[in-house]
Amino acid sequence: MDAEEQSLLAEALRGTMTETAAGTALDAALGDLGWADLLAEEPAVAVRLVFSLLGETGAHAPVLNDVVLAATGQPLGGTVALPYAGGRVVVWERKDAGSAPDEGGLLDGTLPLRVLGAGDDAEAAAVVTDPAALAAGRRALGWWLVGTGRAMLALARTHALDRVQFGRPIAGFQAVRHRLAETFVALEGAEAALAAAEDELASLLGKAAAGQAALDAARHCQQVLGGIGFTAEHALHRHIRRALVLDGLFGNTRELTREAGAHIRRLGRAPRIAHL
Amino acid sequence: MTATDLVPAGFTPPVDAETVSVEDYRAAVQRWLDEHAAELAKPAEHSLEAEVAQLGKVRRALFDAGWMRYGWPVAAGGLGGPDVLRAVLNEEIAERDLTDGTNFSIVEVLAPTMVSYARPELAAEMLPLLLSGREQWCQGFSEPGSGSDLASLSTRATRRDDGSWVVNGQKVWTSLAQYAQRCVLLTRTAPGHAGITAFFVDMDSPGITVRPLRTMHGIDEFCEVFFDDVVIPADRMLGNEGDGWRLAMDLLPYERSTCFWHRITYLFTRLDMLLAEAAKQETEPEAATDAAIGAAYLALHTVRCRSRDTQRRLAAGAHLGPETSVDKILLSTADQKLFDTAREVLPGTIELTDAHWRTEYLYSRAATIYGGTAEIQRNIVARRMLDLGKE
Repeated sequence: MDAEEQSLLAEALRGTMTETAAGTALDAALGDLGWADLLAEEPAVAVRLVFSLLGETGAHAPVLNDVVLAATGQPLGGTVALPYAGGRVVVWERKDAGSAPDEGGLLDGTLPLRVLGAGDDAEAAAVVTDPAALAAGRRALGWWLVGTGRAMLALARTHALDRVQFGRPIAGFQAVRHRLAETFVALEGAEAALAAAEDELASLLGKAAAGQAALDAARHCQQVLGGIGFTAEHALHRHIRRALVLDGLFGNTRELTREAGAHIRRLGRAPRIAHL
Repeated sequence: MTATDLVPAGFTPPVDAETVSVEDYRAAVQRWLDEHAAELAKPAEHSLEAEVAQLGKVRRALFDAGWMRYGWPVAAGGLGGPDVLRAVLNEEIAERDLTDGTNFSIVEVLAPTMVSYARPELAAEMLPLLLSGREQWCQGFSEPGSGSDLASLSTRATRRDDGSWVVNGQKVWTSLAQYAQRCVLLTRTAPGHAGITAFFVDMDSPGITVRPLRTMHGIDEFCEVFFDDVVIPADRMLGNEGDGWRLAMDLLPYERSTCFWHRITYLFTRLDMLLAEAAKQETEPEAATDAAIGAAYLALHTVRCRSRDTQRRLAAGAHLGPETSVDKILLSTADQKLFDTAREVLPGTIELTDAHWRTEYLYSRAATIYGGTAEIQRNIVARRMLDLGKE
């Protein structure tokens, strides 16, 4: 798919994600746009576009399941038990959750996540362990986290330019500018790491970089947005909740970073992954 | 000397510059470096003199074999071919730890200036001297009063009646000036950015005094350079009067591609060394050790991916601009994180026992200062990439 086709597809996806209710409706709409074929034929492009746009638009759909299913050669459309931080297991249901972020007992109540607990042992035992599926899931989550980070940066940037204190936009203050610059740098770095993520180690690193960038974005953007970013009326908190929850899927930033460290320590050498 | 004399008669280039693939070029360089490993090996002695001599030796051997000529124009003594060939050579040199961690790629910020701004005859005469390791050159940009605000520089060049120029002023942080035969010098000839003019100066000109700075890492490679009524012939001007600022900005694509790739590769070799030393420790590593090592690796891997993308864009004909401040911030952050990690993982080593780790740790403290401070880079990102307007 050339750059122009990708750009057209991105616009179509963005429109669909903005206009369709998140969850099952968007799941169906993505199906109508040819998600299954796209994932089969151009997985790298499909995953980058769909998941980064889910982040940017703040939408969601249970398509992470499809990425894992496709990676293990199973038919799309179902659900899979997914590993979560702290050794937990969750299922991303293909049904709708609450509409408010603070509903349902989870940090992001809009996501139809079911936490497996006592009595779900059989279901939890089927948790994804296939390396290729873990890598595919991590790449998808990485792009989603970067998209979420971009959404937060856009909100903070707009606020910095609009908000006037001491007689000038706060974007004129270096302390504010540097936080936004730092956010941008982290997101750009994470994108480069994700674009180079083909094998398992690179996918793990890509998600760790993206998780770190999204967490950095949350911290800096919340600070730049000041009081308004702490209210429920402003959109920022939705993205922060999303970033924190997504970070935990398939290992959080802290766990993945430690795993990468343990891996290269055992290996005795730091693999060079991107080549000229 | 004419361009055709630049490559000796009978010299057969090891590969064809215009058609060789990156992979084939790398394989050929690797084979050659393997064959010549013994003669190119770093000396055991760790003085700056030994390091500079090693730089000259490695460059000369690479030049005589042809490798150092790839990626430079034929008219200036090169063999032609794309810039990426130079990045590959820098990478292979760094992977083998044949030179120190920065100065091998200094050629990357000096040679392009000559190619783009020197009279063709001057470039053809001089560039081979640099590439072949017969000479060291330095770059006289920063001044005591002009660090981050480089454009405020005040070393003055005044034209004399015979057309030559007289220079008075002081430069600082001039790497390897005490070994340099030539200097690419920025001077003030009129007010403002358009009043900066560059010259190619012989360092043995009367009136130049070089004084190495004592720095905290113990390698006195940076110098103060004083200019007292130094006369420079008119034909040593680089470009035209007032082109100096543009010349300085034009270095960016080279600094931020091949030079960065060299440093990134070098840092990977230091991470490998850290892993080797960590393996020798008797106590079982803590989870915190793996976390720190993982974070350093993640930072290095990230800047490597970013730099690879930047070089691909450059190779595809893109003009590199303010977005390379992202590369610079990622690199300087990764550099410091790696050596912070070394200090954490090898407790007591830097403080008590190992002078090499100590030197490199201390040198890494400068990573967020040289080449444009971390703050200046963030200002550029804020202004140019995020379009936040003026401060």
